[in-house]
Amino acid sequence: MTPFLTTTLLFSPADGWQAIRKANLSIKECYFRQVIPLALITPVCGYIGATRVGWPVPGADTVLMTLGSAFRIAIISFLAILVSVGAIGKLIQWMGQTYGAEQPLSRCISLAAYTITPLLIIGFATLYPPLWFIYLLGLPALGYSVFLLYNGVPVMMEISEERGFLFSSAILTAGLIALVGLLVATVGLWSFGLGPGFAY
Amino acid sequence: MNPSIQETYNYDVVRQFAIMTIVWGVVGMLVGVLIASQLVWPALNFDIAWLTFGRLRPLHTNAVIFAFGGCALFSTSYYVVQRTCHVRLAFDKLAAFTFWGWQLVILSAVVSLPLGITSSKEYAELEWPIDLLITLVWVSYAIVFFATIMRRRIKHIYVANWFFGAFILTVAVLHVINSLAYPVSFTKSYSIYAGVQDAMVQWWYGHNAVGFFLTAGFLGIMYYFIPKQVNQPVYSYRLSVVHFWAILFTYIWAGPHHLHYTALPDWLQSIGMVFSLVLLAPSWGGMINGIMTLSGAWHKLRTDPILKFLVVAVSFYGMSTFEGPMMAIKTVNAFSHYTDWTIGHVHSGALGWVGLISMGAMYHLIPRLFNCEIYSVKLIDRHFWLATIGIVLYITAMWISGIMQGLMWRAVNEDGTLIYSFVETVNAMHPYYLIRLLGGLVYLSGMLLMAYNIFQTVRLGNRQAALIPAPSH
Repeated sequence: MTPFLTTTLLFSPADGWQAIRKANLSIKECYFRQVIPLALITPVCGYIGATRVGWPVPGADTVLMTLGSAFRIAIISFLAILVSVGAIGKLIQWMGQTYGAEQPLSRCISLAAYTITPLLIIGFATLYPPLWFIYLLGLPALGYSVFLLYNGVPVMMEISEERGFLFSSAILTAGLIALVGLLVATVGLWSFGLGPGFAY
Repeated sequence: MNPSIQETYNYDVVRQFAIMTIVWGVVGMLVGVLIASQLVWPALNFDIAWLTFGRLRPLHTNAVIFAFGGCALFSTSYYVVQRTCHVRLAFDKLAAFTFWGWQLVILSAVVSLPLGITSSKEYAELEWPIDLLITLVWVSYAIVFFATIMRRRIKHIYVANWFFGAFILTVAVLHVINSLAYPVSFTKSYSIYAGVQDAMVQWWYGHNAVGFFLTAGFLGIMYYFIPKQVNQPVYSYRLSVVHFWAILFTYIWAGPHHLHYTALPDWLQSIGMVFSLVLLAPSWGGMINGIMTLSGAWHKLRTDPILKFLVVAVSFYGMSTFEGPMMAIKTVNAFSHYTDWTIGHVHSGALGWVGLISMGAMYHLIPRLFNCEIYSVKLIDRHFWLATIGIVLYITAMWISGIMQGLMWRAVNEDGTLIYSFVETVNAMHPYYLIRLLGGLVYLSGMLLMAYNIFQTVRLGNRQAALIPAPSH
């Protein structure tokens, strides 16, 4: 774990990014000390929330997810987080050429990994799974992640703030597109019968 | 031409359309906010027939697409064609007619739609007398635009004009074919097509209204105003020409994806889906060209909030042109169709792409038309953030409510009966409709800031005629 870097980043983003750059984590370090511990929060809490707390339906019993299906989804989402951090890191490195920012892959992966810190932490919200609750907490977390991205790109990629603004916007666009892709993949899997099972 | 007699540009009509872009933008978005609040609190229609959602919704779509978007397209195309051809706009009087004629069309819509006078065709609700007036104005528009191009003093026709030209021609064809109808009275007509043919013609028109009115036309805006604002040439001229022809050929076939799993023949649905997927490539050609052109101008970002509008507009263009093809896939469509996901998708294109690029273009254009600086750069920056926050709230709320609707609608018990009644799903949407309303309000407040900023700018400016510079090559 890198609790010092994480808290500094969250409470004082400018210092946090400087410290992360200085820490110069390797890809392995970044994954084992930052990404994997934080990426566990959402699947674990989501599993508990979906199987124990469930979704209340007015005038009917609470809907719960079956244990097997919730477990499958937890594993898939855990792996999805690990893969997407690496993929976004790779994408940042690739797009960096356009913005005159050529940095090693480990640096780009650190940028991706620390940018999504608020989103990974807010995974606690899935303990109470109704969507409006997750949305309510998730939206500020998403906003803060975007803020961290715009602050982090100039520091981590060592480019001017203006260039960083354009670069960050390009990363954000790619992120939005990935989000839509995820939505579509979910719907696709669901339609092919690989969706979750519910107990009523 | 005798070089001693300097000709001037016709900025009058450009100014008129530019100002009305702002006015109709405020009106159209205000109606949008009103109907969004009706979806949260249905009592807000006060039981008055002409304030009901069913009548105001077409007013909202017509006002934002044809009044706001239309005026933005008229003003920018008239400006761009003059500037890039180094010649005065052809036929002053006919150009003036397109302005007054178009405003008359909009006013007729503002009156007839709340009265319930409608052809019932989506995005073409206006009845036949207004349709005839539209045709007249549009043909005049085409004459003015193409006559100006024929008079050009530069051999080359700049790519923005290709996009504007394609948009004008195609919209003419779409409008005439889709609006063919038998009039039974002054205020009522029936489509000459029946059944599924009518549906197909409707969505051939509907989707190409998106493709040509809201995409090709606004790509024309992008291709002039982005290079102008960053003061650099287009990243790849070759790419712009290739994706122009590709987009033209592909878009026209995509309409059937609005009719997946309906009475439309299955093979036709599949064609619509395949062409929609192919469309991703030419659409992204435009996005890449826009983003790469902007990439060279990073050093200007600190002082120029207009650039932010253009950057984010192109980003949303890229996002929604990815989302669209995905939603056209039959499997996804079976889930997403009729849900709020569609509404969210439309608004990421409308608020994000069309709205932001028009606002960016107007902030660039209006000070130049009135020979002055913008009243407040800071307000532009504020507007940018309000617009962006509004869009994000709107889209995320609609994504979640759309996914929930899709899931709840298809949830079935062991015996195949539906788990949720329709009204239960409506109830579950309530919080997201509130967030959507909030997003709309924030976006509208940004537009009001713009209106104030532009009002102050125009007060400071003057309408001195602009001389046409000699072509440099």
